[in-house]
Amino acid sequence: MNTKIETAETKLELEIDGEQVEVRPGATVLEAARELGVEIPVLCHDDRVDPAGCCRMCLVEIEGQRRLQPACTFKASPGMEVKTKTERVARHRRGLLSLYKADHRLDERGRPVSRGVHDKLADHIDTYGTGPELPPVNAPRASRSDENPYIQFDPDACVVCGLCVRYCDEVEAVSAITLFGRGASTTIGTADQRSLLDTSCELCGGCIAVCPTGAMTEKPSLDQPSEQIVRTTCNFCGVGCQLDLHVATVAAPKGPSQTVSQDLGAERSEVVGPQARVSETMKRVVRVTSPEPGTTVNDGNLCVKGRFSYEFIHHEERLTEPLIRGEDGELHPASWADAIARVAEGLHGVKQRYGADALGFVSSSRCTGEENYLMQKLSRAAFGTNNCHQCAAT
Amino acid sequence: MEKKGAKRSRIIELLEEHGGMRPGVAREVARETGVPEADIFGVASFYTLLARPGAHTRVCQGLTCMMAGAGRRMEELRESGVEVEPVSCLGQCDRAPAALDDKLELVAGPRGAISPVSDDQAMKLGAEDDASYSALARAVEQGPERVIAELKAGGLQGRGGAGFPAHFKWDAVRNQAETTRYVVVNADEAEPGNFKDRELMLRRPHLMIEGMAIAAFATGAKTAFIYVRGEFKGCRRSLERALEAAKPHLDRLIGGLEVRIVEGHGAYICGEETALLEAIEGRRGMPRLKPPYPTESGLWGKPTLINNVETLACVPAIVDRGGEWFRALGRTEPGSKLYCISGHVNKPGVYELPLGVTLDELVEEAGGYLGTPRAFSPGGASSGFLPMSQRELPLDFGALAKAGSMMGSAGLVVLNDTINMAEAARWQQIFFEDESCGQCAPCRIGARVQRQAVDRWIDGKSRVGLAHVNEVAWEMNEGSICGLGMVASLPLQSAMKYFEEDFT
Ligand SMILES: Cc1cc2nc3c(=O)[nH]c(=O)nc-3n(C[C@H](O)[C@H](O)[C@H](O)COP(=O)(O)O)c2cc1C
Ligand code: SF4
Ligand code: SF4
Ligand code: SF4
Ligand code: FES
Repeated sequence: MNTKIETAETKLELEIDGEQVEVRPGATVLEAARELGVEIPVLCHDDRVDPAGCCRMCLVEIEGQRRLQPACTFKASPGMEVKTKTERVARHRRGLLSLYKADHRLDERGRPVSRGVHDKLADHIDTYGTGPELPPVNAPRASRSDENPYIQFDPDACVVCGLCVRYCDEVEAVSAITLFGRGASTTIGTADQRSLLDTSCELCGGCIAVCPTGAMTEKPSLDQPSEQIVRTTCNFCGVGCQLDLHVATVAAPKGPSQTVSQDLGAERSEVVGPQARVSETMKRVVRVTSPEPGTTVNDGNLCVKGRFSYEFIHHEERLTEPLIRGEDGELHPASWADAIARVAEGLHGVKQRYGADALGFVSSSRCTGEENYLMQKLSRAAFGTNNCHQCAAT
Repeated sequence: MEKKGAKRSRIIELLEEHGGMRPGVAREVARETGVPEADIFGVASFYTLLARPGAHTRVCQGLTCMMAGAGRRMEELRESGVEVEPVSCLGQCDRAPAALDDKLELVAGPRGAISPVSDDQAMKLGAEDDASYSALARAVEQGPERVIAELKAGGLQGRGGAGFPAHFKWDAVRNQAETTRYVVVNADEAEPGNFKDRELMLRRPHLMIEGMAIAAFATGAKTAFIYVRGEFKGCRRSLERALEAAKPHLDRLIGGLEVRIVEGHGAYICGEETALLEAIEGRRGMPRLKPPYPTESGLWGKPTLINNVETLACVPAIVDRGGEWFRALGRTEPGSKLYCISGHVNKPGVYELPLGVTLDELVEEAGGYLGTPRAFSPGGASSGFLPMSQRELPLDFGALAKAGSMMGSAGLVVLNDTINMAEAARWQQIFFEDESCGQCAPCRIGARVQRQAVDRWIDGKSRVGLAHVNEVAWEMNEGSICGLGMVASLPLQSAMKYFEEDFT
């Protein structure tokens, strides 16, 4: 969306706060402002969906327009003069933020509640201030209990920007949610106010990703801060979506299942598995998000697996060392050398008795591309069979 | 996402047919139309008549009805075991207090008055409706350019509230490169205090249909929509009858015109032209951003002419007798005008008078004041209140706008000295809070803030809210998307300004 087109004849020039900027025809005032590095606050805008111009946060003065106009929808035109720093614009921002604040769930310090990642409303209040100090409006919004495991919606932390609805429709093509009600009671609902599990929802969590206030939020990540972000590649399928793993220090689970491993100290800073349960606190993945739209192949989007299926990282039943079944029929810890030797022995035995094509190699879509490559190499080069497959290769 | 070929524009009628916002209905309508279920449910929840369906009594809680004892009436009905829902102004202020029965048919007092017919009226409510379509024939003879030139000469300003010159819009649609064009008649009359379009549709439906047909002819539209308020069952019947009679004339004179009546379902905001288009398309009636204007991109993105019922009803006379004749009917601005008057006057009703008469002249037609007048609201809730000291103002678009009010569609309400102006302001603020579409925060939240400010004053004698009324109003005016939010503070602001004594 934000690309500047190079050919001279297709550019147009306008002025923002006295500075000239060139943009492609069709660009909005907001895009032009970004080009210049002029900050215009938004709530209902996201490059992935069509602009709606409804949150009113981005209104600016445009020469010749009687009314303030939304930068997110207003098209730049040659010679246009835009002003974003006038007292009129500043007063509008303060007045609007006062209204949003009066309609919002506040924390004990009187700030819009934070859900850890998206705090645009609070940030705007910090940056632009508020006008009149209004008592809470207690809007009569319908709330909906929803037993789905992943997505929580808090109507009183919602600014009704509609981004979640537009995302679900325009990007996911699912339309599981809708603006519901009218006037002060307008909120987000589902058909017949059913649980998301009983709708077309795919639990992709995109509604969470676009939400500017955290009204839509990851249930498992509620109240979890994020101390560190680790970029990785999702290995649930072959698309190669980039993930940002949010890591936080959390209280370590107590109980008999604790195992102690000598070489992994509790202070280790990277993501660690269950064997690290040695002290009171430990670092864990507490939330998964996508990198900013426009920066990676997944363009800000994820699916239910990439976004929510990370519990296995710390799952206590997760295998962390090789096991070999002994004569007693039980699995016993073993070294990697012993385990690999045991596998090689078994596979060679089959090949010798029945031929290479009696073997088949199936790898997992959870493995990396490199690992999958090695698996087929093992199959073809080491054992001499083309019987290899990967669970996501259909 | 909507399937290709989905029948979105049918969802509202289907929702009504299947009983509104009840469990399972959205799913059924989704099956029949291919529109996603959640989307349909969201539409149902927007419209009062779909969100709260059912056979109960709907009692008007508009300003005039409240002054006429609607509150008492609701209590009495409830005490007698009737299920009652207070609803926004029903457009029956001349018959206050009004209510609709379980079939949405009107329960109200005796019919309001109309002015006696005279030759200096363009619409003549009291005359027999003329189904000859001679003005349409004449328009066809003259051709589109001449018709539009007469509108311009006549100085016809839109009667829906904004007073925008009609000829500009007709010309704009006519000159679009796109050849699929629509005419839409705005018959959603829901501004509190207004009931003139209702009277026109009941008494002179052919006048409006003829005006609509001339508009279609002049702009090159082959299809016209009439968006009628859902609470106006009688108007719908009247229009259907008249359309049947009109059909042969339309066929003969302009090669036919496809006319569709679309009913509203209880949302004042759908009177706003772009919200109205959304409603016809089968969506929540949330106004669009302008520009682009409907003349360029309207219904389904096509050039669309939207005019008020009364605007179109003026057209046949202009074609027949010429623009100059029409212009001369007015006093301070062109033409004659239907003024609705209700509240504390002897004969509430619709009076056709020269544009620019004063309140006293209008009230004289309406049989005089009841009691000692204290305030008047010149053009619906959106115009706020004025003190009687301004009774000399010409009731026209320019003078009222200058006075910080507006003519709107000339639904005047007179309030006498038995009325507490804080209470009157509260009734209007309740209206705006209930009718905000909720799309943009200044109006969605601001309308509730203003309502609560007056509540706190009346119920708790607390001034905390009143202190912020003007600043919140400033933001609502600057920040709102549409006209509703822009003016929604005016009743309270003007009451505080002119009737300070009721706020101390
Ligand atoms: C909140 C709001 C409500 C409106 N309601 C009506 C209405 O009920 N009837 C109407 O004709 N115009 C109404 N209008 C004005 C329309 O938007 C539009 O200007 C009008 O239909 C154009 O017709 P005209 O040029 O013939 O007046 C309303 C406008 C607003 C902002
Ligand atoms: S999780 Fe995905 S599919 Fe479900 S409501 Fe949110 S955006 Fe729509
Ligand atoms: S839940 Fe979030 S994205 Fe959805 S409308 Fe509310 S604030 Fe906007
Ligand atoms: S001003 Fe009010 S009615 Fe108009 S778009 Fe905004 S919320 Fe809706
Ligand atoms: S970002 Fe422009 S109106 Fe919301």
